[in-house]
Amino acid sequence: MTRYPILAGLRFLQRHPLHLSLSVLAIALGVSVVGAVDLVNGSAMRAFVIASDAVAGTSTHRIVGGPRGVPEEVYRRLRVEHGIRSIAPVVEAYVHLAPEDIAARTVRLLGVDIFAEQAFRGYLASPRLQGNAGALLTDASAAALPTATARALGLAPGQRFAIEINGRQHYMVLAATFDADRALERTALASVLVTDIATAQELLEMEGFLSRIDLVISSETGAADEIVRLLPDGTTLAPASAQRQALEQMTRAFRLNLTALSLLALLVGMFLIYNAMTFSVLQRRQLLGMLRALGVTRAEVYRQVLLEALVLGVVGTLAGLVLAVVLGNALLHLVTRTINDLYFVLSVRELALTPAAFAKAAALGLGATVVAALVPAWEATTTPPRAVMSRIVIEIRQRRRLPLQLTATAACWVAGVVLLSASRDLWISFAALFLIIAGSALLAPAATRASIALLQPVMRRALGVLGAMAARGITVSLSRTGVAMAALSVAVAASVGVGVMIQSFRGSVADWLDNYLRADYFVSSAASGVGASQRLVPGAVLDEVRALPGVETLSLGRMVRLEGTGGFTDLFVLHMPRKSFTAFRLIAGTPEAAARAYFAGDGVLISEPYAYRHRLAVGDAVVLRTDIGDRRFPVAGIYQDYGSDHGVVTMSRATYNKHWMDSGITSFGVYARADAVPEALSASLRAILAHYDGLVLYPNRELREVSLAVFDRTFTVTQVLRLLAILVAFVGILSALMVIQLERAREFAVLRANGMTPAQLWGLVTTETGLMGLVAGALAVPLGVVLAAMLVYVINRRSFGWSMDMYIDPLTLGSALLLALVAALMAGLYPAWRMSRTPAALALREE
Amino acid sequence: MTAPGPTARSMRICATLLLAGLVSGTGAQQAADGLALDQVLGAQQDDGFAVADRVRALRFPRDHGPHPAFKHEWWYYTGNLRTTAGRRFGFQVTFFRIAAAPPGERPVRTSHWASDQVYMAHVAVTDVQGRQFHYAERFARGALGLAGARPGPGDPPGAAHRVWLEDWQSAAVALHDDAPCASEVPPGRCLAVELKAAAGEVTLRLHLESLRPLVLQGEQGLSRKSAEPGNASYYYSFTRMAATGELRLGGQVLPVTGQAWMDREWSTSALSELQEGWDWFALQLDDGTDLMFYRLRRKDGMADPHSAGVLVGVAAGPAAGSGEGTVPLAVSDVVIDVEDYWTSPHTGARYPARWRLRVPAVDLDLRLAPHLADQELHHTQVVYWEGAVGVQGTRAGRPVRGDGYVELAGYPRVQADK
Repeated sequence: MTRYPILAGLRFLQRHPLHLSLSVLAIALGVSVVGAVDLVNGSAMRAFVIASDAVAGTSTHRIVGGPRGVPEEVYRRLRVEHGIRSIAPVVEAYVHLAPEDIAARTVRLLGVDIFAEQAFRGYLASPRLQGNAGALLTDASAAALPTATARALGLAPGQRFAIEINGRQHYMVLAATFDADRALERTALASVLVTDIATAQELLEMEGFLSRIDLVISSETGAADEIVRLLPDGTTLAPASAQRQALEQMTRAFRLNLTALSLLALLVGMFLIYNAMTFSVLQRRQLLGMLRALGVTRAEVYRQVLLEALVLGVVGTLAGLVLAVVLGNALLHLVTRTINDLYFVLSVRELALTPAAFAKAAALGLGATVVAALVPAWEATTTPPRAVMSRIVIEIRQRRRLPLQLTATAACWVAGVVLLSASRDLWISFAALFLIIAGSALLAPAATRASIALLQPVMRRALGVLGAMAARGITVSLSRTGVAMAALSVAVAASVGVGVMIQSFRGSVADWLDNYLRADYFVSSAASGVGASQRLVPGAVLDEVRALPGVETLSLGRMVRLEGTGGFTDLFVLHMPRKSFTAFRLIAGTPEAAARAYFAGDGVLISEPYAYRHRLAVGDAVVLRTDIGDRRFPVAGIYQDYGSDHGVVTMSRATYNKHWMDSGITSFGVYARADAVPEALSASLRAILAHYDGLVLYPNRELREVSLAVFDRTFTVTQVLRLLAILVAFVGILSALMVIQLERAREFAVLRANGMTPAQLWGLVTTETGLMGLVAGALAVPLGVVLAAMLVYVINRRSFGWSMDMYIDPLTLGSALLLALVAALMAGLYPAWRMSRTPAALALREE
Repeated sequence: MTAPGPTARSMRICATLLLAGLVSGTGAQQAADGLALDQVLGAQQDDGFAVADRVRALRFPRDHGPHPAFKHEWWYYTGNLRTTAGRRFGFQVTFFRIAAAPPGERPVRTSHWASDQVYMAHVAVTDVQGRQFHYAERFARGALGLAGARPGPGDPPGAAHRVWLEDWQSAAVALHDDAPCASEVPPGRCLAVELKAAAGEVTLRLHLESLRPLVLQGEQGLSRKSAEPGNASYYYSFTRMAATGELRLGGQVLPVTGQAWMDREWSTSALSELQEGWDWFALQLDDGTDLMFYRLRRKDGMADPHSAGVLVGVAAGPAAGSGEGTVPLAVSDVVIDVEDYWTSPHTGARYPARWRLRVPAVDLDLRLAPHLADQELHHTQVVYWEGAVGVQGTRAGRPVRGDGYVELAGYPRVQADK
């Protein structure tokens, strides 16, 4: 094969640096968004897995208990009376280390019995436990930290440091330091604080109970069964991996949604690559025609175009990978924060740069480039040499292709709808979503033609000849404008879709909070986050509050996480006034029957996500492990709830007391008397709570605002990705429209030579691009609404089990139109400026 | 004659290890790490503990129980067993108590796990015919019922004397006064216990009954370690206990009978800088004589003048039922010649392996040979040799035979280098 075509191609790219760099930038941005999200997701899960493993040690199983944990007597019995020695007691919780230091962090307080640890957590064995480890036993404030953490806090053995547990400050003494053998484990241990089990019980007010008992038992079935036989009611044996898997599973939908959003950015990027390659083929139609005439074969031309695409792809992808690391670092804390807000405590200190993530992003980048270049390459080779030289052939072909495109659109839509209804799987749902987007994009040329046809008379009347020319300019070069407009539409539609979805979500949550939060004040321990150790509210507080003159009644809440063999169930025990039952907005079940069953202790309520995940309906039963063994609880109603996406089972205190030996309260609501003076009541409540550490008072309004603030925070990362998709589109539009206009240099020169003033040329170019923006925006709005509907009704439900109402803010739609218009207008600025500056004669000579 | 108890040094090391590094995995290497810490810590931790600085009237059964005011303490059982078919076994079951902090400093704690009392146990079984040495080590805190010791009876009410670490235990089964040796002695000076322990795959269940009342060592139980007041321990022994029970080994249940020895000691004492280790002998002869002697080795190779021992049943013969016939042995009373050595393949330590032991004053001439060469506990915090030995010799010209236990401490290089 002759090397001439390659050299010619490279020369071409060299002569169009702007075009080149914008194409590369589009690819780079697309790849970086996908890569960054993948890196962040991977890092978060890796950190989670490593941390779980390091803390679980070599344990294969764990014994877990009821609301208060496992009674420590269970451990003694197993070890002393039954001689089972491959067990270790654990008391753990998340605490804030050095809350006032810059190196402050959330760490896992791990209370262990050092004498039971050898078989479990090797890093706690003596050669690696450096310092006065004996003090752990004798000193109630002694603790051990990983060497690196101690160093970061500037702590030497014997020095004091603060920790905060449920809003209470405690001072610990660094008695010893330890280190893991493996670097991985060391990273995970950076967030672990070790104390003796007695110290941990005292700090966490868990005297008499263990968080769990770790076990190493052989995989022979008999061993596990034997242990199970020895366990009292209310405790159970679960595989060590069960909880980890459950937590991992919990964030799956969240991570998948991020990935899908990032792929959207790449999809927009693909349109742009396609556009860029089409353009470069069109630009060189003469060159390619000549080459063909000189005897260069079709295959060679085909390879040449693909090779060019690949070169662009490689450069763009490489740049994208570098950008991915930068972007990933920026996104890391957003994603981690969201996981912390919604799911569990996770500390991810750094981005794990895994080769797999890079390979995936690179493959996607290169693959997208090559796929996007296939059509232009095919176009360049299937046209006879003479015809390639004539642009009109391409335009005619484009026009002929319209029915085909319409058919493809229909096919994509049908396929999308079929997929959506065929499966609940989230990946398939997203694939369907992408099919519908792609189908809609294919509609862009036809839709553009139709709208321009409608607009043309208006344009002529409003702007005269120039207006008509601008409108015609779009249709005559539809082969290129079509793609540009498709890209712009998709990007804007995605933005509209995600925007409307977030609005709908927020609207539903706000609406739900208004109905759900009934009490005038709420009090809970300062422990934040889901699954955090819940400190119990002292009974004395309740008595004092009840005695206040302005208080009518209290609602009492108890949040419990019941761990079992297949993960865990969050149980909310609520004692509330009967009149407040309407706080539960029932989706299924009649309010009267549900209330009757709830208060009588005959049934439980389950939240919508719980019902969705477990495929439960009213009349079915939930099986929960109680202190007196497994019990079935009939579902009396399913209620709307946005508090947790893995779902909650709610039962009355009466029901709970029948099955659990636990009188704990983790939060309470205060109902004020009608005649109470809010300021006075609020002041006396604060006065009472001032005597108890770690209890926080939220007036109704404030709790609503705090909840919405958390909501907004968790959607920050979604908003960022949405903006990135728009940014990719913007760069692409800029490049596409710019080259379209630049390509018309000769046409404009002819117009100039015929007497068009520079100002008129400005007007023509900006009108044309503005028109394109407007049309693209107009196309994007309905597509965006459809996308939003799919996200709200299908994706969110399948991801999180939430149903919600659509809230469409006209402002969002208007701003989408504006966005398209501004992007298009800006894209026209440079070509207009250049055309008007170039003397007509020079432009003509360039031919 | 005053001298430190035979295992004082090993206890010393255990205590400091626990304070310094807590428990490691296994092996001599870890023991070496621990010893480095032992050096760093020195002996300043003794402040605040009670000391054995005077002769005290020991009271039984109270003193069978723990003495938490002292830094450390142990219940030490050794013995030789035989199946009906004549298969021989040696055993060692030892419970150690170590206080991690002096009593005065104990803060009020609300957790049931909180404790500064640490228990350690060593269990070893020598399978003479099988040429196997099984042993195991355990630690647990003296809290939550995981490990502990009770004086009994009646303290707490209804309770009998018991020492345990998880499911290993020594529990009194009968009132001490009913024990066969009790007819002519003050109450509590006899002991009958059920011993339950395991070393690897070997489990041991023995009923032990004292055939002789306990023997107070040293000066009415005060065993001085040096001339310095307080550098001593309280020390008593049951030099001859009848053992019956069973041994489970590889699916077999073997009924066994034999004789055991029990040592009890508690103290808060430091070591002499001059001492390197000790050789401890506890022998039970078929003429009814029991002999205990520990030779403290000094770094200069000499026997420390505080080396001491006791001969029991010399005058009264095998049926002796009282403390009569108990003869203290001073360093000059006993002549020990090492006739062979054994080098450990595990640690490289070179231990004496055959002895000629003479007590000229009573015309006793004995030759001692281990039932098994390798009875070294090397996967433990402290590495030492403790094993069953066979005894042959003459007493006043008449042949005597017997069995016994020997403990050899301070031989591994890492310890010797100190």
